Amino acid sequence: MKTFWEGLIKKNPVLVLALGLMPAVAIARTAADGLALGLITTAVFLVAAMIRFVLAPAMPGGSSRILEGLIVVVLTVLVYGLLFTANPGLVARLGIFLPLIVANTWLLHNSSGLRSFGSALLEIAGKGLGFALALVLIGVVREFLGYGAVFGQQVVTGALPPMSLALGVPGGLIIVGLLMALVNVICKQGGEYHD
Amino acid sequence: MTDGLDILAQGIVTGNLALIQGLGLYAVTRYTKDTHTALRAGLNTFAGMLVGATLLWLLGGYVPTSPAPQVGFYLVIGLISALSAPFLTRRNVLSEEYVVDSALIGMLLLLGRDGITGVVNVWVVAGAGLGYVLTLVVMATLRQRLELSPVPKALKGTPIILITAGLLAIALLGFRF
Repeated sequence: MKTFWEGLIKKNPVLVLALGLMPAVAIARTAADGLALGLITTAVFLVAAMIRFVLAPAMPGGSSRILEGLIVVVLTVLVYGLLFTANPGLVARLGIFLPLIVANTWLLHNSSGLRSFGSALLEIAGKGLGFALALVLIGVVREFLGYGAVFGQQVVTGALPPMSLALGVPGGLIIVGLLMALVNVICKQGGEYHD
Repeated sequence: MTDGLDILAQGIVTGNLALIQGLGLYAVTRYTKDTHTALRAGLNTFAGMLVGATLLWLLGGYVPTSPAPQVGFYLVIGLISALSAPFLTRRNVLSEEYVVDSALIGMLLLLGRDGITGVVNVWVVAGAGLGYVLTLVVMATLRQRLELSPVPKALKGTPIILITAGLLAIALLGFRF
């Protein structure tokens, strides 16, 4: 369970390891979108890890990352097709960032290949939920600043003008940078990358 | 977006892949420790983009029309381009590292989303790739200056890079009209 909790907070992919910054900056404009993308990404990576574990013994050494990449591509296309039928609005909101799950840098940095099946799944589940948690946190801050709302519920009406810059990529870069600094202060770390 | 110069300007400034579209941030945070590394990483991605755009131009007639297979098609072209780029630039790195290059794959998906086809693909990618290389080099230069500056401990590393990139992106937004 240690790997699970580490992935969730101490080795959070976005706020500590600085991985998966692209969805954090570009798509986590609202908490709901951040949560949706975080959970979809986690599900895809968990299933990909399971399939890779089954196929890995039959693959030549060194090709497992490429294999995992291909598995993630197939799963992403399947998820895209399913969501396009079930929830086209969500697919439209996530745009090109839904298929870009394949380019999530987690793929490089999970060490699941070195561990047992159970601990690998725990590690991915922990990092996945940590990823989703970070996207929700970033989404809450940006949605509050940009729309005056949290999870679609209006919390500020009229008194505070919305800061639309928070909803764009430039605002996202600054907000994610400041949140990472806040995490550094809370965790009493900082200086360079922690991976 | 009909004029060649407009396309180039959009790729470099107003539609900058990293700073305006939010793609390729892994490279912005990891490959900008010095200008040489940034330039090589940028050129590698640029080469991959050109391969991808050329493949899309050549295979334009075979792009599936249904959404999910179309996305799959662009992703596979992206993977092939990402894997072939280090061979073209003779860069001694693990090719798998470029499988997760969101700037490259994202650029190809943007071409599909915007319905850009034919040889215009290559021109659009040339502008976007050039903008991406410039961003990495500029970020590397800024980062070298930042290392000499008194940055608070909590902001050192990735946070200050992201905040600097955000301020640079706001400056680029000024060119939108």
